[in-house]
Amino acid sequence: MMEEEEEEGAEEQQRFSYRQRLKAAVHYTVGCLCEEVASDKEMQFSKQTIAAISEVTFRQCENFAKDLEMFARHAKRSTINTEDVKLLARRSNSLLKYITEKNEDIAQFNLERKAKKKKKLEDENKSSVEPAEAGVVESEN
Amino acid sequence: MEEIGACFRKELVSKLLHLHFKDDKTKVSGDALQLTAELLKIFVVEAAIRSIRQAKAEDLARVDVEQLEKVLPQLLLDF
Repeated sequence: MMEEEEEEGAEEQQRFSYRQRLKAAVHYTVGCLCEEVASDKEMQFSKQTIAAISEVTFRQCENFAKDLEMFARHAKRSTINTEDVKLLARRSNSLLKYITEKNEDIAQFNLERKAKKKKKLEDENKSSVEPAEAGVVESEN
Repeated sequence: MEEIGACFRKELVSKLLHLHFKDDKTKVSGDALQLTAELLKIFVVEAAIRSIRQAKAEDLARVDVEQLEKVLPQLLLDF
């Protein structure tokens, strides 16, 4: 019985330190973003403010995650897609507009990237008409 | 806004979301991850900009937690 309790304790510790690592990663990104805004506006943030923004952002992720999961489930899907994310931005018109535009940018960018990759593969195939030594083929992720 | 270079990495966003999913089978598409990263970035930038605006309105040279606390309610309502 003691072993079970110990195992649970260890698992609990692991979950806690995983959470802490994620929080630290968020804190780092939040710090970078705030630094850019601060230098653009010629103002300074106290360290506590950055930590507070970081904390709020981490908590906001929980709301986003739960909502996204529910939106996808409501649409009878198990994979969350961009329509679900757009729903998250519904509360403010300007936010929704911004996110919708970003979505189009992302889709456009990914489309162009795929077209470039395809063309590169086609060009490589054409130029390997003569027997060549084995090359490394890039795998698409 | 386009000049902001920092961003949330897709891996981090994925881990953050999966931390709170109730169902093991829930997945996120690559595009959705990218869009969520944008949403998070804008959340942080809004928090930062609104806090600065508040600090300037109070004639302060530095942004402290008090200024963030004042802008937080509206920020959360907007998201």
